[in-house]
Amino acid sequence: MRRYVSLYASFFRMFLKSILEYRGSFVTLVAAVLLVQGASLATIWVVMSQVPSMNGWSLPEVLLIYGLLIFSRSCTQIFTEYIWNLGSMIRQGEFDRYLVRPINPLFHVLAAGLNFEGLVNFPLGLVLIIGTGRTLGLFASPFNIAYLVVAVASGAVIFFAVNLITATTAFWIIESMPVSAAVFENYLFAHYPLTIFPRGIQFLLTWIIPYGFASFYPAAFLMGRDVGALAWLGPLVAAVLLVLGYRFWLVGLNRYEGAGS
Amino acid sequence: MNSALVSPRRPSAVNMLGYTALAGMETKTFLVYHWSVVVDLIKNLIATIVFVYFWRALYAQTPAIAGLSLDATLAYVLLARIFQPLGSFMLVSEFGHQMRQGALAHIQLRPLDIQLAYYVQNLASVVVALGRQLPVALVALLVFRLRLPTNPAVWGVFILSALLGRSVLFCFDYILGCVAFYTTSAWGLGFAIFGLSLFVGGGLVPLVMLPDWLRPIVLNTPFAQAFYVPISLLSGVAPLSQAPRLLLIQFLWLLGLAPLSRLVFAVAIRRVTVQGG
Amino acid sequence: MAVIEVENLSKVFRISQKEPGLGGAFKALVRPRYTDKAAVAGISFTVEPAEIVGYIGVNGAGKSTTIKMLTGVLVPSGGQVRVLGRDPHKQRVANANDIGVVFGQRTQLWWDLALIESLNLVAKIYQVDPARYRQLLDQFAETLELKPLLSVPIRQMSLGQKMRAELAATLIHEPKIVYLDEPTIGLDLIVKERIREFIKQQNQTRGTTVILTTHDLGDIEELCKRVLIIDAGQLIYDGPLATIKARFGKFRSITFETLQDVGGFQQVPDGAETLSTDERKLVLRFDRTLTTASKVAKAVMDQLEVVDFSLAEPDLGSVVKQIYGGALREPAA
Repeated sequence: MRRYVSLYASFFRMFLKSILEYRGSFVTLVAAVLLVQGASLATIWVVMSQVPSMNGWSLPEVLLIYGLLIFSRSCTQIFTEYIWNLGSMIRQGEFDRYLVRPINPLFHVLAAGLNFEGLVNFPLGLVLIIGTGRTLGLFASPFNIAYLVVAVASGAVIFFAVNLITATTAFWIIESMPVSAAVFENYLFAHYPLTIFPRGIQFLLTWIIPYGFASFYPAAFLMGRDVGALAWLGPLVAAVLLVLGYRFWLVGLNRYEGAGS
Repeated sequence: MNSALVSPRRPSAVNMLGYTALAGMETKTFLVYHWSVVVDLIKNLIATIVFVYFWRALYAQTPAIAGLSLDATLAYVLLARIFQPLGSFMLVSEFGHQMRQGALAHIQLRPLDIQLAYYVQNLASVVVALGRQLPVALVALLVFRLRLPTNPAVWGVFILSALLGRSVLFCFDYILGCVAFYTTSAWGLGFAIFGLSLFVGGGLVPLVMLPDWLRPIVLNTPFAQAFYVPISLLSGVAPLSQAPRLLLIQFLWLLGLAPLSRLVFAVAIRRVTVQGG
Repeated sequence: MAVIEVENLSKVFRISQKEPGLGGAFKALVRPRYTDKAAVAGISFTVEPAEIVGYIGVNGAGKSTTIKMLTGVLVPSGGQVRVLGRDPHKQRVANANDIGVVFGQRTQLWWDLALIESLNLVAKIYQVDPARYRQLLDQFAETLELKPLLSVPIRQMSLGQKMRAELAATLIHEPKIVYLDEPTIGLDLIVKERIREFIKQQNQTRGTTVILTTHDLGDIEELCKRVLIIDAGQLIYDGPLATIKARFGKFRSITFETLQDVGGFQQVPDGAETLSTDERKLVLRFDRTLTTASKVAKAVMDQLEVVDFSLAEPDLGSVVKQIYGGALREPAA
């Protein structure tokens, strides 16, 4: 285990060095991500300062949900969103190279690349959470802080598990990127209180692509809204999805080794 | 609201940094191209749904925002999503990059010819992109009961305004492309401005809702001229009576940017031929 | 103890049958039809330590499928494969530690970073002892002339430099078996020579077993004493290279350098044909079964003033072509 951690650190360092080769682009890309997020946030801020609430949700509450989402996503984004490229790795024969190395192929796929949007979303999300949390008086109790940490962790795992599942389809259809992208896009819904959407969408984001546990349900609970058991299901859903995802990966890997590409 | 406008297509530029470490840029096979159209459609639909419910929720406890009713705002938002290609502008910035690669054959042509060629190509690609928005339009019409304006004058004004605005944006984009002659980071810069243009162009919010101190600044950008003006005219956010004034402003923008873009291009070309590509 | 033991190995792929057109696509969805294609159909061979074995076959003959099964990437449909006493698929990690693979077209090195960075990472992946790693680096710096390249990123290297770098990365963990797929493809002759020299040297000094799959017959001639030829999933030849060259190398070519212009050369001796004529150079090919070198030489020298001539070895290309054409099934001439 320790070996893998240190190995991952090496891969990570390789990437940082690669990035430094493209210094200029890196800076402008960071700016680009910031501006895009800024645009959304500016919209919310501009409009909500003119209305009493978003269907009962105040501005800091909405921003807390938004912040929780991008923060928990960013935790996993940096390290694992690269798995979207599994399809092209297989198509170009890169994946066979991973199979010939003495390390776990899933690890290798995850270590093979990094996504740097996450580096920007991480501090941004954190700022949003801390800012709104303070306004809403959330950090008064240590229980809340612990709950938040667990919620973010569960959210990160859910993002990873969904990415893993959609990427694994590459073992059958090779072009997994469209699947990953299309499924992932539903995360847009989780930026906002899920209750503003019709029941069907709420169901989708709770039980099928459970991004709701990364942002809405924890936020709702912390703000005293009644969401019943959903306040506590986050870690369980994350664990179940992760196990399912990994099993699915093994099935896919088996198929790949049996049927070729 | 990270809309579908954010990533023109995966792999996004940020992912490219990871790609290069794995050697080789993949060429899109037909199958991938095929699928990316479907994915773009799904992204578009999801963003549209999010937008609609977002605004409905905002209007839940108030009848009007900045003088606009829910229906007016929804009309604006839906039309903005349908006609979103009008605000796209990365198309021409690519050419600066190509030029640097040494497409010096272009130098043989007179600058006006190149620009004209790109302009026509730009317009054509916008029309094609608009065609691809048809499914979104259908959803907007059938599911969200968007009501298109019936007054032909409104449509006429819209088309004129869209054309003017598109030309303004094209000139701006062209100038940006010429900047690419000088630096390789220009496309990254373009990307950054792209992020800004979503908001500033009125793609996310009808600009009339902006606070008084911000509104005039934002309105005075090529993005707002290219996107906000035609869409607000079509959706009724800007009443027909304002059309002459708005069109005149767009025309003045064009009058200023068009010769400027010619000038910048001529300077850039001269630099390329003198200093080498 | 053999390093590779392959017994009745086979691999069958299910290929889905799809009729063209929209109707066909729909049919394929509703009631999929498959045919079984045997990419490898029961091959058996063993490889002893420190052998350099050439593995030849046309594209689609089953070469890469075999290699994939040997490296543990693909699971066999039938038969058995043991590499260093292990099942390469079931004991993937253990097997991976003992093998190195070069894919001719794709590099395992980091595109943008200096070579030394990639080597460091590879060494880390294979858990190469740091002291040993430094020793090997020094050795490769010499034998592969890598010193100036260590700080160069791969994207700036020429094809020949890339291959040298690739070999270093592949051998840095001192694998017992190395699978080389098209290692000299696209390289010019001098670079090819150096690469071949290097492989030979590694094999001799370290006893590394080498499995070489290639279309470049020069590689085979230089490096391999033994070849395996696969065709349509079956092993049609397994034995010394010399044997098939002797048996099928009936064509030899002679090159004559003449005093006067060759243009006047009319009488091509029986059993020979002209391959090329330059100003003062004539290349003939003759069939050993129909005539002899001396007869051909005499016939030419009767017509032209010959300054020098040289006799070339049997052309492996034509040998292989004949074998593909079924020559092995005919009784020995």
